[in-house]
Amino acid sequence: MATYLEFIQQNEERDGVRFSWNVWPSSRLEATRMVVPLACLLTPLKERLDLPPVQYEPVLCSRPTCKAVLNPLCQVDYRAKLWACNFCFQRNQFPPAYAGISEVNQPAELMPQFSTIEYIVQRGPQTPLIFLYVVDTCLEEEDLQALKESLQMSLSLLPPDALVGLITFGRMVQVHELSCEGISKSYVFRGTKDLTAKQIQDMLGLSRPAVPMQQGRPLQTPEQPVISSRFLQPVHKIDMNLTDLLGELQRDPWPVTQGKRPLRSTGVALSIAVGLLEGTFPNTGARIMLFTGGPPTQGPGMVVGDELKTPIRSWHDIEKDNARFMKKATKHYETLANRSAANGHCIDIYACALDQTGLLEMKCCANLTGGHMVMGDSFNTSLFKQTFQRVFSKGYNGEFRMAFGANLDVKTSRELKIAGAIGPCMSLNAKGPCVSENELGIGGTSQWKICSLDPSTTLAIYFEVVNQHNAPIPQGGRGAVQFVTHYQHSSTQKRIRVTTIARNWADAQTQLQHIEAAFDQEAAAVLMARLGVYRAESEEGPDVLRWLDRQLIRLCQKFGQYNKDDPNSFRLSESFSLYPQFIFHLRRSPFLQVFNNSPDESSYYRHHFARQDLTQSLIMIQPILYAYSFHGPPEPVLLDSSSILPDRILLMDTFFQIVIYLGETIAQWQKAGYQDMPEYENFKHLLQAPLDDAQEILQTRFPMPRYIHTEHGGSQARFLLSKVNPSQTHNNLYAWGQESGAPILTDDVSLQVFMDHLKKLAVSSAS
Amino acid sequence: MAESYVKPGNQERGWNDPPQFSYGLQAQAGGSRRTPLTRRAPPPPAGAPPGAPPGPPSAPADPAAPPPRALGPPPQGSAGAAPRAEARPSAAGPEQEECSVSADTVLAPLRAALDACRATVQKQVCNDIGRRLTVLEDAWAQGKLSAPVRKRMNLLVQELQQQHWDAADEIHRSLMVDHVNEVSQWMVGVKRLIAETRDLPSGHTDGSADTEPATEPVTEPVTEPAAEPEQEEP
Repeated sequence: MATYLEFIQQNEERDGVRFSWNVWPSSRLEATRMVVPLACLLTPLKERLDLPPVQYEPVLCSRPTCKAVLNPLCQVDYRAKLWACNFCFQRNQFPPAYAGISEVNQPAELMPQFSTIEYIVQRGPQTPLIFLYVVDTCLEEEDLQALKESLQMSLSLLPPDALVGLITFGRMVQVHELSCEGISKSYVFRGTKDLTAKQIQDMLGLSRPAVPMQQGRPLQTPEQPVISSRFLQPVHKIDMNLTDLLGELQRDPWPVTQGKRPLRSTGVALSIAVGLLEGTFPNTGARIMLFTGGPPTQGPGMVVGDELKTPIRSWHDIEKDNARFMKKATKHYETLANRSAANGHCIDIYACALDQTGLLEMKCCANLTGGHMVMGDSFNTSLFKQTFQRVFSKGYNGEFRMAFGANLDVKTSRELKIAGAIGPCMSLNAKGPCVSENELGIGGTSQWKICSLDPSTTLAIYFEVVNQHNAPIPQGGRGAVQFVTHYQHSSTQKRIRVTTIARNWADAQTQLQHIEAAFDQEAAAVLMARLGVYRAESEEGPDVLRWLDRQLIRLCQKFGQYNKDDPNSFRLSESFSLYPQFIFHLRRSPFLQVFNNSPDESSYYRHHFARQDLTQSLIMIQPILYAYSFHGPPEPVLLDSSSILPDRILLMDTFFQIVIYLGETIAQWQKAGYQDMPEYENFKHLLQAPLDDAQEILQTRFPMPRYIHTEHGGSQARFLLSKVNPSQTHNNLYAWGQESGAPILTDDVSLQVFMDHLKKLAVSSAS
Repeated sequence: MAESYVKPGNQERGWNDPPQFSYGLQAQAGGSRRTPLTRRAPPPPAGAPPGAPPGPPSAPADPAAPPPRALGPPPQGSAGAAPRAEARPSAAGPEQEECSVSADTVLAPLRAALDACRATVQKQVCNDIGRRLTVLEDAWAQGKLSAPVRKRMNLLVQELQQQHWDAADEIHRSLMVDHVNEVSQWMVGVKRLIAETRDLPSGHTDGSADTEPATEPVTEPVTEPAAEPEQEEP
């Protein structure tokens, strides 16, 4: 239905929210029968160029267990200057500043178009942002040089008031004291022994708790900040010295004998970084940026031994319980991640090596804190350099896109409870009337912490309808949810983004068609996918596929139109028509199929899947395919083997790769050199068109994708062939008669076969 | 102004390394992160085999046969609108350019700015900047700096003289990003010099009187809770 699609899109643009269901089933029993849970994708800091922030404190409900923010859904008595909270129905007095409001003079937060509104608040001293570089020196000379240059370059991209620090590691860990005097000093730690936070602080001379740097407060004699800032100094003061210090960094001096890996003490290095920030700047926005060129091979958190003949664990090893170091290492990094997140500090991992670097064990550092995970082959590649530059990218208004220390608080009307969230966050264990006992994702709380986020960071939040069956919902009644995000803006201002949404309840027994029409299949696919990936990371792989299939069959049984036991009669309404296809592609995706990927690669893909917005997540599930030919303007085509034709150029975007594939005829023409002849200039344009379109994506996406330029018969064509639906394989080649499209050599099930099986199972009276 | 160019990635160190965009190109695209290509083809009607698309009248080829020997040329056509999904100008490769700016044109104003700073800025810092300017001078004299770097340094110095601090800063950033291996040793000194000159008490002008407005663009906040009556229809 066109109207619901518009409704869905408008709401996403305004509020950054996409719900799986936009008309809500009014009882718990009916909601569970819907199969897809009531859930939403929320982009807390969605870019809103048209939303000027207001510079006053939000008005809160006075009930201590509620504290909802005044919003357009509240009933207001302008004469008595009272407002009724729409969540708990408490009547509240407006504060004195609101004395002048009236129906014709409303404050912004009451206007419907401000369902999403941002407040700038003054809360305590403005603490500077902190960037702590933790740098692996066990790199090849060329790589180390490239990394050093990238770090020097980054000093020009950091906010000038930010504090910056440096820890280098190899066999030992060195914490560098940054000073403007000539001699550079550092504290050296053994890489084999883990230390507690207190021990680290004692050894670095940070015994007393630090006072945050008071910038621009000359009257206060800062006795403590002088000590605590030895290791973290403002960029504008230290940039020259730090540039020199970085320039002088040498490779780890300990010799590496033949057949051995360098001794890399990543675990202790990170531990010291976390402890240093814990002791000096708790509860302020900070990034610990780990740059590593290989796996940790020494000390706590080691992932593999130093003998090259023992390879790093593969999925096969993990399945056979043959990964010696995995459990202990994962636990080490999980403890660090939890401590870091509790302090509001995020941990980024920039791993560039040809072999695995231990992302599987270290992933919690990035996933719990909202930090980045970047995986490349070498620091001397455009992929790393440009991705790293984009960490410091700015939006249209010239402000950094990165934000820190977010605290997301979700409130619901009483018919709903919160089951959990899936995304780059940590639970704050905030119990309350909104919290459900049934957990989906990170549950048992109505508040989560996201230490680092940007305008595209998206969380999946799952709800539970708790109304009893047959309990009445008032006619035209609506349920509501409010998302309140406190965060530190890159300018160090404290801000609060409030989004309040409402949707209609409906009785599923009499109004199922309304509920059906308001189903958002794209959001539902991504929400189910996140649940599936979450399960896959904690359970066995095949079980997740069985679960996913079961849910799909149940959904088709509930919402399909069919005659019992007659698969050919099966139909799905338009609002469900694409859903099975998404699930089909999801089942084949690297998020659920670990075959052909290393554990590190799977962790990397899953990391990005769990935080992107809906459009990008869908691209990851079902890549986009565009065709360029002489037969018309560029157009999207089915992700199917039949789309691979000789006289076409295909552009495929999987989010992680951009693939440009020249059909057989196009490739032959190119080899013959027609593009260089003036009378065939349009061929030259045809070759250029997909390159230009790819450029737009390459220029803005974080992380930067790989760029594959291939052609019919090329080995790299496998990236395209493995993603398209193999409607034509070597098995059914001659069944269609005239060939069109390229057959894929696979035994994988095609979408057609999948759909046939699905229909059979859905209509069967035996299920 | 920063150049806009695209270089190929480092195929030796990273497989399928994406191309490298200059700082100017990235800054242009900054802000909007919408993927332009997001449409999907509608699914075929239920039951229709996708193996028979309504389609291009391409020569049917039996997969077992060799490619046709007489391959016809592509359809002819002179320059027309490029068939693009998105209309935008394509970026060229890095320009091969010449630069005849002398070292002194750039160094003299920088040293003058440094002298102006000596009164108020710490001695150590000034010496450090001075050292780096010498490194720049030597590198220039020995011909170690490429034409784009020299050209942009000339522009930077002009912006500095006109007190366009943000513009000078932006040029320094673009040089750091695009040519870090050439400039890293001394550019931080220039960066510091811009920052210190900007903070000097007024009274030190060098050239035209154009002054820069506030450093960071600030969104205009609404300060009154009871906002101006916005008579919008709810």
